[in-house]
Amino acid sequence: MKIVVAIKQVPERDAQVRIDAAGKWIEASDLHFALNEPDAYALEEALQLKEKHGGEVVVLSAGPERVATTLREALAKGADRAIYIACDDLGSRDALSVARLLAAAIRPENPDLVLTGLQSEDLGLGQTGVIIAELLGLPHATLILHVEKTETGFTVKRELEEGWFQTIDLPTPALLTIQSGGNKLRYATLMGIKRAKAKEVLTVTAAELAVDAVPVVVLEQVTLPRKQKSTQILSGTAKEAAAALVEKLIVEAHVL
Amino acid sequence: MIPLLPTLAEPQHFSLLEKLLFIALAVTSAVAFWRRFGIVLDKILKSKRDPGFRLFPIGKRIREFVWEVLCQAKVIRERPLPGLAHAFVFWAFCAFALVTLNHCAVALGLGFLSPRGSIGCLYFYFAAAFALLCAFSILALFVRRFFIRPRWLGAKLSWESGVIALLIFVLMASYLASFLVADSDPAARVLWWVHTLALLIFLPLIPHTKHLHLLLSPVTVFLSRGSFAQILPLSDDEDFGLVAGTDLTRLVSLQAYSCVECGRCTEHCPASNTGKLLNPKEIILGLRGYLNEYGPASDQPLLGKYNSQQAVFQCTTCGACEFQCPVGIEHLPILVGLRRGSVNTGVWEDQHGSQLFLALERGSNALGISPVERDKFIEKNALPLFDGTQEYCLWLGCMGAYDPKGREIVLALVRVMNYLGTSYGVLRKERCTGDTARRLGNDLLFQQLAEANLQNLAENKVKKIVSICPHCVRTIQEDWREYGAPPAVEHHSEFLARFVSQLPRTVGPGFSPDIGSEGGRGPQRRVLVAGVEEGGFNPRTKPIAPGGALAPETEQTASSTQPGKIVYHDPCYLGRYRNVYDQPRKVAALAGELVEAPRNRERSFCCGAGGGLVFLGEETGERISHNRAQELVATGAQTIAAACPFCNTMFRDALTAAGEDAPELLDIAQLAARGLPPSDVS
Repeated sequence: MKIVVAIKQVPERDAQVRIDAAGKWIEASDLHFALNEPDAYALEEALQLKEKHGGEVVVLSAGPERVATTLREALAKGADRAIYIACDDLGSRDALSVARLLAAAIRPENPDLVLTGLQSEDLGLGQTGVIIAELLGLPHATLILHVEKTETGFTVKRELEEGWFQTIDLPTPALLTIQSGGNKLRYATLMGIKRAKAKEVLTVTAAELAVDAVPVVVLEQVTLPRKQKSTQILSGTAKEAAAALVEKLIVEAHVL
Repeated sequence: MIPLLPTLAEPQHFSLLEKLLFIALAVTSAVAFWRRFGIVLDKILKSKRDPGFRLFPIGKRIREFVWEVLCQAKVIRERPLPGLAHAFVFWAFCAFALVTLNHCAVALGLGFLSPRGSIGCLYFYFAAAFALLCAFSILALFVRRFFIRPRWLGAKLSWESGVIALLIFVLMASYLASFLVADSDPAARVLWWVHTLALLIFLPLIPHTKHLHLLLSPVTVFLSRGSFAQILPLSDDEDFGLVAGTDLTRLVSLQAYSCVECGRCTEHCPASNTGKLLNPKEIILGLRGYLNEYGPASDQPLLGKYNSQQAVFQCTTCGACEFQCPVGIEHLPILVGLRRGSVNTGVWEDQHGSQLFLALERGSNALGISPVERDKFIEKNALPLFDGTQEYCLWLGCMGAYDPKGREIVLALVRVMNYLGTSYGVLRKERCTGDTARRLGNDLLFQQLAEANLQNLAENKVKKIVSICPHCVRTIQEDWREYGAPPAVEHHSEFLARFVSQLPRTVGPGFSPDIGSEGGRGPQRRVLVAGVEEGGFNPRTKPIAPGGALAPETEQTASSTQPGKIVYHDPCYLGRYRNVYDQPRKVAALAGELVEAPRNRERSFCCGAGGGLVFLGEETGERISHNRAQELVATGAQTIAAACPFCNTMFRDALTAAGEDAPELLDIAQLAARGLPPSDVS
């Protein structure tokens, strides 16, 4: 079984972000980057499927040079090959043009299964995997916690609201976007890193993939959320004030 | 009075038949000896060489040999009476060297030491004195092993020990008895043969039993690495630690065969003392069993038939085992080596362990907390940032930056440093030193952390570090050396001890209400009244209430603890690992009268947090921290003084079991800060 996992390198969690001079993105120069967490779960799911059923896991990522570290980590954790799409303008592409890049690299691989993380920790669009599925003509399912291989394809467990789950059967090939928390992640080992040195990392440029890069969605501006503070004194009897408070908590503050 | 002389040494007339018989027996004995010893030697020599092993400087090795082997220093010091008995047996063996040689030579008519000559006579009496001591000692040791049966020698009776003891006794008795018979007496000949047979039976038994240590342990002590709990760099790209037989080095194999099964390591092991599977003696004997069955060229995993992964991951790396071992076995490199073998290859699957590694991979600290919290802590307390101009870099560490109690310790130290006018700053960014990664055997993670930190320190031009955590200190000073040149680092007890004379003394609390800290365990502020004597309990200090006014005297709460007495707990990584015992006591003594726990200084009992165990959790047996806390509480002290934020955390939990009457738990920095005048620190 051949599984392709599309991963993204994002600023590390809890990094203090600042908006750049142009106001269009964050200042990346002093940030540390790491593997997007849902993608780590996607990778883990792929590795577990490989351990159970055999086959090959290929990781794929687009971005500037620093992405190579994350690809090496993925190889160290057990992926067999990596494809690196050299692309310096990832920030100015929308989900559609990024998906076009990734799909173009995935298509020649003819995988049985494509896994992506549910969403990225920086943009959080949750669209890229779905668009790739559409571009490749694959059936897809999102928010997946668990994947099982069956005779005809896959049976997956999908997370819904309020503690509900949904079980879906899909044929193969298919695309799944993976939610965090479904598996226990493995840690990177010394042996893994040493072995990763011998594994193939294929580099393609965005130009070679010859896809349409004109975005249909344009990011106009990035701002920090304004912190608001508002103090209201509730008057009336204790009973009246309590009723008014509850109403405000539901309607205005949205905490109940 | 006719002087008694040992007829064993008299040149006697042996018939040709007797000589031939003697030679035949001696050769048989020697062959039987070599058949086993040769195999052991072969296994040791076929093990891979120790990378980076240096025989020189040899002076230190010779000194160790003289002190530990010839003088039996550790053997006696750590178990005085049995140790002394053993020492007598050992010295008797040494004294008997010439006796035995001469004894054999006599059979062939080649006796060289005559009891009738003055030198010979003196020597034989000298040997007789040792024979007496030895006979008495071996008898006592026999009684100890077979009748008293101390727990740490193991539940199973060792019959081989009984046989050896008997043989030694026979050797000594036959020698002494020969003083009492005349030359011509046929009993003299009988005694000679008894002595000979005892010798020739003893010889081949040596390599088949733990008495192999007779030959190996002096070599083991001489060749030991000379460091304590040292974790060596991996040697090449294929080295992942102790995975299989092929990873065992000569030193490790030598040590495995040198174990005398004395059980001193087990006796002091916190895991063994609290019902865990781990027994350091069995780890070493497990390696011996592995070598006996599979040898040093085998690919069989070391953790399997003879040792278990579960046991290996119960070790807190406290070092008591290695410290106690009288034959120079270095348990820590072996235990961590076995862990490395499991972790570096990904074979170790542990939920908490994986979580810890992932937290360290992704983030900056072992607790998995956002580094923003550290920034907030620094900002809120207006801690000065290190800019290259200050003398000290105050290393917060994971506990000092993120743990509430760790933070209190840091703030107390900061108060003292401000009072002393010390120039210091904290780094803008820190990553975990990697102590837990190192002790758990994750070399990839440790390398990443060490390199990132060394770079950060170099960029910030840090020359001197002071830290509240002995684990940070050890890792920075020793373990980071593998990847670069760390700056000088010391523990805050070493720093504070230098300024003890400048710090005001106080006495213990118990009178005024707490100043706003949760759980009622905060430091009390007191003012020194003029005319106070230094040190000791002094009733002439007056408590200060919040707000600065002298508080009304309240009744001392009914307590079983003694007011003003402090028991200091030696952290493993400060005591055994760093040899720092007096400095923290000097600092703690600022705040009261010190009492000692039964297991103190080099014998201090671990709190249970080390070796990554604080993150892994203990699921079986009694909690190590509870065991130690009970011991500390039983001293009757009102205050437990800690010098490590991990010890502090472990005891904080354990003391909740002691209820309302539990002593207060404070770091020595907090004790030092107690006497300071109220400052503006918020």
